Amino acid sequence: MTQFVLAGVLGLLFTVGTFLVLRRDIVRVVWGVTIIAQSANVYLVTMGGLSGTVPIVGHGPPANPGSVTDPLVQALVLTAIVIGFGTTAFALVLTYRVYEEHGTIDLDELGETGGEV
Amino acid sequence: MAAQVVIAPLLVALVTAVLTLLLRRFSRAQRAVSLAGALGYAASVALLVAAVADQSILVYQLSGWRAPFGITLVADALSVFMLGLTAVVSLAAAVFSAGYMSEYGQQLSYHALYHLLVVGVTGSFLTGDIFNLFVWFEVMLLSSYVLVVFYSGPEHTRAALQYTVLNLIGSAVMLLAIGGLYSTTGTLNMADMARRLANPAEFGIDPVPVLGIAAILFAVFALKAGIVPFQFWVPAAYRAAPAPVSAMLAGVTKKVGIYAIIRLYFTVFAAASLPAGLSLPGFGGDSFLAFFGPIMFVMAAASIVLGGVGAVSRVDLDGVLAYSSIGQIGFVVLPLAIAATVPEVRELGIAAALIYALNHGLAKSMLFLASGTVREAVGSVRFEYLGGLARRTPILSIGFFVGALALVGIPPLSGFFGKLLVFQTAADAGAVGGQGATIALALALGGAILTVAYFSRAWNEGFWGTQSEAVRTATYSPTLVAVVIALAAALVIVGIGFDPVLRAANAAASAAVDRGTYVDSVLPEVSP
Repeated sequence: MTQFVLAGVLGLLFTVGTFLVLRRDIVRVVWGVTIIAQSANVYLVTMGGLSGTVPIVGHGPPANPGSVTDPLVQALVLTAIVIGFGTTAFALVLTYRVYEEHGTIDLDELGETGGEV
Repeated sequence: MAAQVVIAPLLVALVTAVLTLLLRRFSRAQRAVSLAGALGYAASVALLVAAVADQSILVYQLSGWRAPFGITLVADALSVFMLGLTAVVSLAAAVFSAGYMSEYGQQLSYHALYHLLVVGVTGSFLTGDIFNLFVWFEVMLLSSYVLVVFYSGPEHTRAALQYTVLNLIGSAVMLLAIGGLYSTTGTLNMADMARRLANPAEFGIDPVPVLGIAAILFAVFALKAGIVPFQFWVPAAYRAAPAPVSAMLAGVTKKVGIYAIIRLYFTVFAAASLPAGLSLPGFGGDSFLAFFGPIMFVMAAASIVLGGVGAVSRVDLDGVLAYSSIGQIGFVVLPLAIAATVPEVRELGIAAALIYALNHGLAKSMLFLASGTVREAVGSVRFEYLGGLARRTPILSIGFFVGALALVGIPPLSGFFGKLLVFQTAADAGAVGGQGATIALALALGGAILTVAYFSRAWNEGFWGTQSEAVRTATYSPTLVAVVIALAAALVIVGIGFDPVLRAANAAASAAVDRGTYVDSVLPEVSP
């Protein structure tokens, strides 16, 4: 059941992300990229299979040692999230710089005023 | 013991990056450390090259965690070939940066970012783990985002925005593909993945989804390499970045995408085959490479045409170089496409691609540095403000001319052998009955003619003709001209002393297709 719910949520997240990336407003584009990156992270978690118990060996023998959810993907997602923080911060600062330089965050206007180097 | 030398280039570049960040208050010391670091990097790469020549493949398991559980760094002939190119270009660009970038810019963070870019590139060439490859890509990209926006003017922020958003989406897609690969093959280690894909039944792998995921991953590498239809960020980003950074982007980071394609598709995914064969129109055979071959061929053809035609119509030197970069990457991918489709010429095709990549790396970085020298002296690289550079500064012009000739492919420069090998690959493929060899030959010829066209135009408008006022009064920095001439000399040396380079490229090509040695070296305990 969890798999179906997650699949639906992932599809929705990717839709929202794609929709936002296609907007004219740069802040929305950055949000869209962030959402797409986060949905990729969620997707990565699902790749470990969600049928088992938590991947922590507590005190005493685990109830069913054979079926533990793969912890590796969760470690991978942690790495990806940290990288995502850095890139999101940079993208937001860059948005601010674009606003300072061009006086607009509308991508269409940016296209008109940008010009060649 | 010898395996430790694998991490030497990574450590040197990382320590340099940290030191230059700490020394930002002392600009002279910072510059000295940066240059010493670039030299040390070249020295450590030379050590690694010597070690690989001795033992053919070196494997370093980080923290002693054995593959496939830990992170593995692998240095073989293919990795050190790319590292050698990186060492030469990054040293030249570092020396150039010290004389070119403004005092304030250097103090700010330039050197630290520059060396972090080198760290990311080095890691990508050395890693033997797909998720780790993603991490090194991010290290490389994060520093390149900041370096593209370094001047921070209107057009730079615009180019950086486009570059950043595209690469962030690329990273998300890469993560999706890596997750899919882990889920379908059950491993992230490249050697382990190759071993499992060779016996899909034993490990319960369905090759069909793996092919689809490999195709998604291919799009990401094509985006990094700037192959059509993923080329649209290239011109703006290359023109916006400072000249030494453009040199690094065109000369080295573009080649990371090419390296990833060779390593993953020719070493790892080539192990797999589809049980029922490819039943798509236009695709033959049952191997994964037979699927990617025609795709690469179309992309290479489009790159050559679009890059060449785009470069002919540019109004500034940097624009010509950026579009030319798209066209030239097509020449690198073309022999790879032939190598993928026709197994008989596989090693020759990879060697041709590597030689061409080396030639393009050296020549294009030199041309970007030459363009930077002109920009610093004259104040612009738009053709309307240029003219008569050849009479004003003959030495720099000779450098530019040599670089242009190398890309056109005039003997005895390195570019001649690159083009020759591309033609030879196409001809050999035609001789063994490969389809499309005639089209490949025609494309290579047409691309070569376009190269002649846009470089003669750049030469006529920028270097010949009447001197403009800006050119007449400009003064050229001797250090910058010296770097350009040194790289031009490197092009001539590679061309004249071509034998060792060809041997290195052949060794790299056989390392790329020699899956058995790769798997056995990384996973010694599973081999019989």
